[in-house]
Amino acid sequence: MNNHSFYRRAFLRSSSTLIALPFFNSFGWRRFASAAAPVARPKRILFLGFGFGVTRETWYPNVDQTGTEWLLPPGLKPLERHKKDISLVQNLSNKFNNEAHWGSTFWLTGANRYAEPGQSFHNSVSADQVAAEVFGKETRFTSIQLGADDADASGHGPGLSLAWNRQGKPIAALNNPVTAFHRLFSDETTPLEQRQSELRDKRSVLDTVVDDAQGVARGLNKHDSDKLDEYLQSIRDIETRLSKEEQWLDIPKSKPTDPVTEPAGELVGYEEIKVMYDLMVAALQADASRVMTYRQPVENLYRSLDVSFTAHNCSHYTEGARKEASQLRDEKQSALLAHLIDRLKASLEPDGSTLFDHTCLTYGSNIQSMHYLENCPTLLTGGGAGVKLGKHLVMSDPKTPLCNLWLSLLQGVGIPVRAHGDSTGTIPELF
Amino acid sequence: MNGARACVVFVILTLSSIRVFAESDRRVTVPDEHRDFLKMHCVKCHNADKSEGEARLDDISFEIADIETAERWQKILNALNAGEMPPEDSKQPTEIEKTRFLDNLSQTMVSARRKLGDQGGVITMRRLNRREYENTIRDLLGVSVNVKSLPSDVGAGGFDTVGKSLFFSSDQFEQYLAIARLALDEAMVMGRKPELRHEHRECEETATPSLKKSLANLQKQQNNGTKAIETGDSTKYGFPDLARAKFQKDQAEIRIPIHELVLDHPLTESGALLTLSTGYSRDLTLIPKDAAPGNYLLRVRAGTLGGVPSNRQFMEVGCIVDGETAQGEMTVLSCYQVTGTSEDPQTIEIPITVTKSGSRNFVIRERQHNDRKAVQTMFFRERAANGVGPALSLWLDWVEWEGPVVDRWPPEATVKLFCAAAHAKLDDTNAREIVARFATRAFRGKEVKESFLDKLMEIFHRQRKAGASLESALREPLAVVLASPSFLYIVEPTTTQETRALSPVELANRLSYFLWSAPPDDALMDLAESGELMKSDVLTRQVDRMMASPKAWSFVEGFVSQWLHMERLDFFQFSPMLYPGFDHSARLAARDEVFHTFHTVLREDLSLATLLKADFVVVNDLLADYYGLEGVRGNQFCKVALEPGSVRGGLLGMAAILAMGSDGERSSPVERGAFVMRRLLNAAPPPAPANVPQLSRLEGEILPARELLAAHMEEAQCAQCHRKIDPIGYGLENFNAAGLWRAEEVISVGKVKKQARGQGETEHFPIDPSGQLPDGTKFDDYQGLRQAVAGRTENFARGLTEALLEYALGRPFGFTDEELANDILASARSREYSLREIVHSIIRSQPFLSK
Repeated sequence: MNNHSFYRRAFLRSSSTLIALPFFNSFGWRRFASAAAPVARPKRILFLGFGFGVTRETWYPNVDQTGTEWLLPPGLKPLERHKKDISLVQNLSNKFNNEAHWGSTFWLTGANRYAEPGQSFHNSVSADQVAAEVFGKETRFTSIQLGADDADASGHGPGLSLAWNRQGKPIAALNNPVTAFHRLFSDETTPLEQRQSELRDKRSVLDTVVDDAQGVARGLNKHDSDKLDEYLQSIRDIETRLSKEEQWLDIPKSKPTDPVTEPAGELVGYEEIKVMYDLMVAALQADASRVMTYRQPVENLYRSLDVSFTAHNCSHYTEGARKEASQLRDEKQSALLAHLIDRLKASLEPDGSTLFDHTCLTYGSNIQSMHYLENCPTLLTGGGAGVKLGKHLVMSDPKTPLCNLWLSLLQGVGIPVRAHGDSTGTIPELF
Repeated sequence: MNGARACVVFVILTLSSIRVFAESDRRVTVPDEHRDFLKMHCVKCHNADKSEGEARLDDISFEIADIETAERWQKILNALNAGEMPPEDSKQPTEIEKTRFLDNLSQTMVSARRKLGDQGGVITMRRLNRREYENTIRDLLGVSVNVKSLPSDVGAGGFDTVGKSLFFSSDQFEQYLAIARLALDEAMVMGRKPELRHEHRECEETATPSLKKSLANLQKQQNNGTKAIETGDSTKYGFPDLARAKFQKDQAEIRIPIHELVLDHPLTESGALLTLSTGYSRDLTLIPKDAAPGNYLLRVRAGTLGGVPSNRQFMEVGCIVDGETAQGEMTVLSCYQVTGTSEDPQTIEIPITVTKSGSRNFVIRERQHNDRKAVQTMFFRERAANGVGPALSLWLDWVEWEGPVVDRWPPEATVKLFCAAAHAKLDDTNAREIVARFATRAFRGKEVKESFLDKLMEIFHRQRKAGASLESALREPLAVVLASPSFLYIVEPTTTQETRALSPVELANRLSYFLWSAPPDDALMDLAESGELMKSDVLTRQVDRMMASPKAWSFVEGFVSQWLHMERLDFFQFSPMLYPGFDHSARLAARDEVFHTFHTVLREDLSLATLLKADFVVVNDLLADYYGLEGVRGNQFCKVALEPGSVRGGLLGMAAILAMGSDGERSSPVERGAFVMRRLLNAAPPPAPANVPQLSRLEGEILPARELLAAHMEEAQCAQCHRKIDPIGYGLENFNAAGLWRAEEVISVGKVKKQARGQGETEHFPIDPSGQLPDGTKFDDYQGLRQAVAGRTENFARGLTEALLEYALGRPFGFTDEELANDILASARSREYSLREIVHSIIRSQPFLSK
């Protein structure tokens, strides 16, 4: 470690943000490959968000049929074969969200947009990132964010993925299957030595801009130095990533048990989601990451289903063609989810169990349908968090915080957190 | 409909509505009159002893001074809007009481959010937003960069100049580096001046063989399909099953006639006939990979065939960017009216830009919806009528290109980059000087630290040692400069909380990022460095110069698109069945009309009132054709006088504004009414509340918009706002969803699939365009509405001034700015609300001149 990087880190530390810098392990330290005699298979946590919600009349099970005795509503029909392995939860919502077209921005955070005086927008850490702080240590990718290029038209709201970091800033996603494939599975072709030298170059770039930042920081008042801190935070994040890259530099990317090939370049909508699901399964098989989110395309899904209405128009359906379109989307989304569950169940772990057994998956949105933000659609599957499956649960409090669910799931997969967002406690009925 | 009763209710309520708070009083309070409402309907269950749902309301403060109180009131508002409270079994307020309470409380919440969001006049240091970044790179390096990978900075409320809301995400740094590297690659053009290349192509040489081949394939497909069906053996003829064979055969039969029509046409021998959808629908020109980047000219000899409507006599030029081919889409660059004929063709000259990494695949096609399915719909509709497809409209004789057209070599930006050392040999000894000069320019007058330079040079030397060429070793430190905070942020240091006057250089930066969204040019920077800029007359002359410069377009586009939330124009696909003329190019032209009109008002020192009502429009050939105005030539926008009584002139008559007040299918009096309140009357309704029960009584019925909306008056949650919004929108009902005048409302009915095949049906309803403004002023029709709105220039000017202040200062308009706004408006009033005067006043104001 040279002097410059020492000063840089000292400077980064002295600024006002509370996040500690990870210790730079430039020498020798090496994590053990995950193949080393597993005791219990690792847990995984997945979140799939679909922006503009569902068709309220036909997606939710009848509230009078709770427990294990419930009938699949038409919108979930394609999940018939997995009925014993999915649970539906009703009456969850984010109390602060008043944004009727923001289905993803606060979904995993529960933040109050107006919490920060003088700022038109505020957000906080998302549940997946809380898990990533723990699970991410073990894998090449701390977490993986997937998305699509139609987010603006799909009712997701501001953000770059479902994920928001500790500072409440958006985390970017891999927005098409080809990019995702290469990031996750493409082999490095450059020689190790060259990559090591590239890492050094990257660090000296960081050194240089931090030197300029030190000059800028000297004359700033509180408001402005808070702004500069955002820049510095980004530098810290890159440092963290670089030291991780360094740890993995000479370990080749592991391969999924079911081989994947580069997807076709022009998949849109239905096929796009299906391929992304397949890539998620492959990434889990290869243990590339244990935390993943996918902000799904909705607008593109409609395009691929030959529906000419926009996703926005369909979400404000009335009886007739637009409602039919909305129901068609529910059905297709359920069919895709059923496919994902098939794949998870078919993926064997080294100990004979399946990926499905160790994965906790939530599928939903912060929007129910139209402008309704209460009773957010929530479907749980997978054995990762120990949630009882095959159940239909209607919370007695019609405004149970979604964050209570996130807290329960985080604890369920073994993350030691006491609260998340506006949580008031866990949901014991889930287990 | 029960219009009479609804009207009476309007009048009583509007007259009795009082302002929630006095303009001068900075406290935001819920009006005292509602204490009874709360006592009567809420406090019985929500009090100290019996706080149902953990909500206690007996001690709630009527002044909203903090976020906690705001959240408590928001909860009350939400519960009432959602119809949850008061519970069904308790005493209900009357609809009038409830409407009034909701109305006042929603307005109070808007004020409270604004007050709590007030930054007390503090201007936070800001990052260059995406537009500014793009322009700054262009000024520095002379190249255009693709900034799509950066966050757009628009969309979370407020303008993209508001520093406090401009975040920096963790991936952004690397994006800046990557973009800078690409830009530098393009800018560092060394070596000899590229030679001018030229290529000429007769269009029949590409079109005819391709069509013949395609026809042969279709005939084969038809034959094989027929045989497969006859013999029942699908595999033998290359189909997976019989259904597929039948489908392929049908598809071939749909396409063959248009192929034959074109190939049999005499003009096919000497050029290319363009078709829509199937056939020769796009003429491709590929600029070879080894041709140097730069400005090129595309020349096309083209003519029309006659016998088709005027909106089909346009030619679109575009390029194919990755992934666009699949959907039959392209990036539309420009659109030209073809005035020549096939007997007497014209030559159209099209300037295009070729970049190192951008698309080199240029397309010429007939103007059309930029969507494969929409074009198919058009095809099927015409085919249903004549058995073939759309009539042929355009004929291309030949296409040629030449370039790069270089007027200066090396380019100015390159010369600047290498310190005017155009002829001096570049070597390692002047590398430091090059980097230092570049950093000084990039930092816009801020000092460049020696230690920073040292580090940049370390990077350079490492690259050299690793064997990089001088140019590519230089690229890296220069890219790092463009990712450094001194470049990315507009820094105005202050260590104290006291405000201070800006230095001349800081002022130059504020000015140029306000009026150009770009860094100061040499002239402005020179005046700043000499201190001359601080002289009042010098400043005024500079502001005038800047407003007159073409660079002011960035301000116009950046400000207006956000002020009017023009992103809404891209939210919807306009049904090709209902609005065949409102295609991609029409939409672009409609959007540009708004900008060009604003630009004209700024350039020609006109009154803001012209934006409300004018006797002219600023249009190009395409939009003139769309509006049915005669005699406009050329695709450049120009000012065109209107006949007296024209419905155009002013924002309300613009296709873009009207189209945004629709969902792509039907006009929306709600969106249009809300637009008028928000942007023209400066009386924004509160944001649409969540969880309001959807009106279901009229669900699924096919009714005119006005009758559907009447249901809004039946529920207090809706009526509180819609009684003001909807009646304004009725006045614009004579414009269809795409902004064309209509005598009756046409609603498309029937199955979606059928509509896509061009077989949809419609129902027609008469239009009642009468309505009223929120203050009770009645109007009979569109002209009456526009007149009434035009009579409220003062309101409009205030709203616009507040928006301009926010954009210029980079912070929300606060309560503390009321006086400033009053002063600016007073001086504007004495000059007939001149937009230029308002801009001058803002720049001369204390907040603009200080940090």
